[in-house]
Amino acid sequence: MDWHGVCFRWLLMRAGISFVGRWRRPDLPYHRAMPSATLPSLHDTRRGSLSCVGLGMTLGSHLTPLARSHIEQADVVFAALSDPIAEEWLKRMHPDVRSLQPNYAEGKPRIKTYREWVALMMAELRAGKRVCGVFYGHPGIFAWSPHKVIEQARAEGYEAHMEPGISAEDCLYADLGFDPGRYGCQHFEASQLLYCERRIDTAGYLVLWQVGVVGNRSVGRFDHGPAYRALLVERLEQDYLSDHEVIVYRGATLPIERARIRRITLRELAVAPLTAEETVVLPPAVTLQPNRAMLDRLQALDSRGQEATAA
Amino acid sequence: MTDTIELLEAIGGDASLRYAQAGELKGVLEQVQASAGLSMAVELGDGAPLRHELGLQKISETPQMNSPGHGDEEEEEADVPLPEPSQPDRSPTPPAKQALSY
Repeated sequence: MDWHGVCFRWLLMRAGISFVGRWRRPDLPYHRAMPSATLPSLHDTRRGSLSCVGLGMTLGSHLTPLARSHIEQADVVFAALSDPIAEEWLKRMHPDVRSLQPNYAEGKPRIKTYREWVALMMAELRAGKRVCGVFYGHPGIFAWSPHKVIEQARAEGYEAHMEPGISAEDCLYADLGFDPGRYGCQHFEASQLLYCERRIDTAGYLVLWQVGVVGNRSVGRFDHGPAYRALLVERLEQDYLSDHEVIVYRGATLPIERARIRRITLRELAVAPLTAEETVVLPPAVTLQPNRAMLDRLQALDSRGQEATAA
Repeated sequence: MTDTIELLEAIGGDASLRYAQAGELKGVLEQVQASAGLSMAVELGDGAPLRHELGLQKISETPQMNSPGHGDEEEEEADVPLPEPSQPDRSPTPPAKQALSY
């Protein structure tokens, strides 16, 4: 240990902070050789606080140390997860885990359920509790309640924080093996393509979320599901050929599962069996076209720069 | 019998087990006396037997987001520009605002 290390350790010991681990040992792998410290947690006991964290997609694989800490240090934990086994896992981390699932009801608009979730979390927060909302994947992606409850909590003067998690989108890039930076990538909630005028760039990837429940706003009411999906396909056929490849993807939620990947045509998408958790990806349909005008201007700038350097 | 949830957590966090072949993983689980449901789930690559064994119902509703533009009560939360017939200019709201301020 060098002199700085000795001083740092002395300061920590003086502050009453002890080391559980040991200083770096060259004979151990890096992650095992680094010291791990136990520090006292800081909690403002005067007021409640809120954190919304992501559990990641796969049980045991994706939970970040910081998200776990939020869960463990909370007074009460609310859970909106995609698998009951993940909920059981969460219960091992905290004795007071309250599932938000029972707020769904047949025929009830989802937005009503999501508002109730916000109200439940806010009630505990106003009671002075440290509240943690745990959502599958990333709490801020395709989730209304976490953003809303944080906004409301902050408006009422509470400390509120979102902790990112590994999302379905993250898993998708890894499992399907494409980089969104290469050709660009657009993401849409599928219903939005029906409700709103949107422009699709077919030179990049198109990722559509919640295609399995397109047009469906209430739990259980889905009489027109296939007809809605047919409309979505019709909308996509404005930009793609009907035999364009469509990838149907679902990431693994349990570590004993593999990602599910099916390849069909756009035409088949209208009738293919699809669950709410599956995501639809359309690969690029056209090659990138060079922007000649901008390339010429860049060339001119380069030439000017070279002339200035030569002079 | 080893606790199933603990075993799942261990598999999920172990680089050699997470992507192991089903046969190999089953062998490891036999050594630690894993439950029949977990072994079956590994064999099928599907959590259904496990949920059955643990007495858990499959979650019927995955939390989702509501897309703006439904035209019903959640409209107040959305930023979708409402049609304004008196204005011929239909330039859209910046995409970032439509998507992110929800």
